[in-house]
Amino acid sequence: MSSPDSLLAPMAEPYCKGCGHTLIVRALARALESLPVARERLCITSDIGCVGLIDRLFPTLHTVHTTHGRSTAFATGTTIADGLLYEGELKNVVVIGDGGAYIGLLHLVAAAQLNVDLTVVLHNNQLFGMTGGQASGMSPVDWTTPTTMSGNPLPPLEMIGLLRAAGATYLSRELATDPRLPERLAEAISHPGFALVEVLEICTAFGVRYNKLTGPRLRELVGETGEPLGVREHRQGRASFRQAWHERHPETTAAHTPSPPVELERHGLTAPLCMVVAGTSGERVQSAVATLARCAVAAGLFATQKNDNLVTQGTGFSLSELILSPEPIHYTGIDRPDVLIALSEDGLAKLRSTGHLDRLAADGLLLADEGLSGLPEGDSRLRALALRRAAGAKNSAFAALALAVGWRGVVAPSVLADAAERAWGAKARRTVKAVRWAEEILG
Amino acid sequence: MSPHRVLTTGNAMTARAAIDAGCRFFAGYPITPASGIFRDMTRALPGRGGVALSAPDEISALAYCVGASLRGALAMTATSGPGWCLMTETVGFALMTETPVVIVLVQRLGPSTGAATQGAQGDLDLVRSAVSGGYRFPVFTPSTAEECYEDTLRAFAWAERLRTPVVLLTDKEVSTTSEVVDLAALPTPEPVQRAEWQGEGEFLTYRIEELTDVPPFAPVGGPDCVAVTGSSHNQRGDLSKDSPEALALQAHLEAKVAAAEPALGRVDVDSTEPAETLVVSFGVSARACRDAVSQVRSQGVQVRFANVRTVSPLPRTALVEALAGTRRLVVVEENHSGQLRALIVASLREELSAHEVLGVNRAGRAIRPQEIVDVIA
Repeated sequence: MSSPDSLLAPMAEPYCKGCGHTLIVRALARALESLPVARERLCITSDIGCVGLIDRLFPTLHTVHTTHGRSTAFATGTTIADGLLYEGELKNVVVIGDGGAYIGLLHLVAAAQLNVDLTVVLHNNQLFGMTGGQASGMSPVDWTTPTTMSGNPLPPLEMIGLLRAAGATYLSRELATDPRLPERLAEAISHPGFALVEVLEICTAFGVRYNKLTGPRLRELVGETGEPLGVREHRQGRASFRQAWHERHPETTAAHTPSPPVELERHGLTAPLCMVVAGTSGERVQSAVATLARCAVAAGLFATQKNDNLVTQGTGFSLSELILSPEPIHYTGIDRPDVLIALSEDGLAKLRSTGHLDRLAADGLLLADEGLSGLPEGDSRLRALALRRAAGAKNSAFAALALAVGWRGVVAPSVLADAAERAWGAKARRTVKAVRWAEEILG
Repeated sequence: MSPHRVLTTGNAMTARAAIDAGCRFFAGYPITPASGIFRDMTRALPGRGGVALSAPDEISALAYCVGASLRGALAMTATSGPGWCLMTETVGFALMTETPVVIVLVQRLGPSTGAATQGAQGDLDLVRSAVSGGYRFPVFTPSTAEECYEDTLRAFAWAERLRTPVVLLTDKEVSTTSEVVDLAALPTPEPVQRAEWQGEGEFLTYRIEELTDVPPFAPVGGPDCVAVTGSSHNQRGDLSKDSPEALALQAHLEAKVAAAEPALGRVDVDSTEPAETLVVSFGVSARACRDAVSQVRSQGVQVRFANVRTVSPLPRTALVEALAGTRRLVVVEENHSGQLRALIVASLREELSAHEVLGVNRAGRAIRPQEIVDVIA
């Protein structure tokens, strides 16, 4: 029941007679009233279950009633946004039951890791009350419920220990009946960073009905279900998420200004040119193709580049499909390649398995490293060269592309060397050498 | 030639548009082929006074965004099919609580884990039916990197205007293939603003007069006390399941989106010339359609092409216009059953009563222009 300046609504709490939730709600009201925080800076984020009925008991506070177990995640987003994008004065209190805490365990673990400045009041009444008293992941061993009629066989999850392991900076276990509960809750809410108070109670509707309970039994259950009562963790040293963010992002950095665009004189294409380059992951196949694509765009062409590789990314084949065209490109697939480049055994195998090799245009070009096995002998479209030996594995794609664009008259091969130098400076030395080698072959 | 032509991707243009629209909160969980957006937002936001977070799973990623939006921030996340499945609970919450949020869904081949690096257009039904009760929310479908920019701006504008989740439904090809975009030709983003509560009379979290109204927004942490709830509620935000006021608010969730259909709906039709056949597609398949249509036109076939940019609510008004004078409808999409086709047929039963309706469908690889030519020529 409320006093005139109470945050609690002047109405009876909606809970069963003797329910610990009533005690917790009253304690929470007293805790919030004791804090020097304006009402509009207080928010209660509630979960599903009997705890979720709390919203309307605090009619002058912001309330967010969420989905089962997810309350902590919603509150994390609200609180981080408030801390970094707005005034950063919001005090967000999550009320959640033992069932909700268990289904939303990851959100609690993440909030503790982030050390986000919110407080979780875990109403642990040892079971799911609203749905008929089923056992939860925090129910005691041997606990009798409609879903554990021969006794709960599982040990209860030790939430305090779990969240300590996740880096929580304030953790406490309390009894709903403890008259000091308001002070404990106020201390937790004032703590800068993640705080959780596990409040122990027994569901009067189901816990009491199915289990032999006497007064001291609740106190015995404390030891059976986790750590002793009291503040179990209270650390000041660890930066809250907001502090840690500001330490890592000290001030607003200038927006990225792109380097001035390079314009090339001209290109020599009158029709689309479709190329597929295939080699081995880590040998800069895709970055060489991207370099050429950018040069082509600078020369006024349209370009599309589509890459493929194993999901592990650092091993196996690497393939890149490039279309260059004087007109806009719509369909980006290559059904009849004009140029195929095979740089390694992985690459050649991929050109085969994708069918690109079979679909090479009659007047097409297959440019391959001469060391590859199983190259189609006697095919006039094949040019086998010492790409890897002359240019090195990691620059063979650049050398091959320089040759291909030189032979096809797309752009001057030297633009690849220029672009590499612009992008990587002195580190582009071997790439430039590879392109020069190609230019010598082109004559 | 414009010096602003750049080689970029749909994912990069989506991130760019989000920043330009005023998005200042991003939470993500890595997933191919959407991770490029996560990376770009993580790079861009801190320097612009924003925040980008790594969430421990997709459930948290969207919940963080919705929480941030309740505080007043424009928020976005990006995922693919498997992540979307985890997010749907929170999509329903955002819809019920009328909380704006933008979700990018880059489609890949399903079911289940499917193939992370293989494109597909199989999630249309999944997205349209994500919310219990069948309530609709806007879903936009770009087919190029440039359209990704444009439709991301639209997504933020409509999320705020209607206070609703909005999905940008792209696919692996559109999102990760590099192509040329002329940055100088992009639309100028208009500042996106929520209709904020102006403080006349008593504030109610879900105040409406007409079913199609959008309640004025007040942030958690602001001077007006808000009562947000995912449970059935009255205008004050009190739990209420069968009062006339609560039932009206539920009807309003559908009505506000339905009423916006003519303005939300977008279908780009490439010709007003008389045509026998209307080809309809979206996303990656729309690209193959453009090549197929220009090929058959050069052979004298009278055909019209409609690129659908809104798939929910279905832009009925615009589709009826596009159908005018045609006798045949060909719907091209990269899924087995023809999800868009079924939707159009169900929605335009009368208008299509005399039409021959055909589908071009493949899954596991992109549809080739020739496969479309074979059907329409």
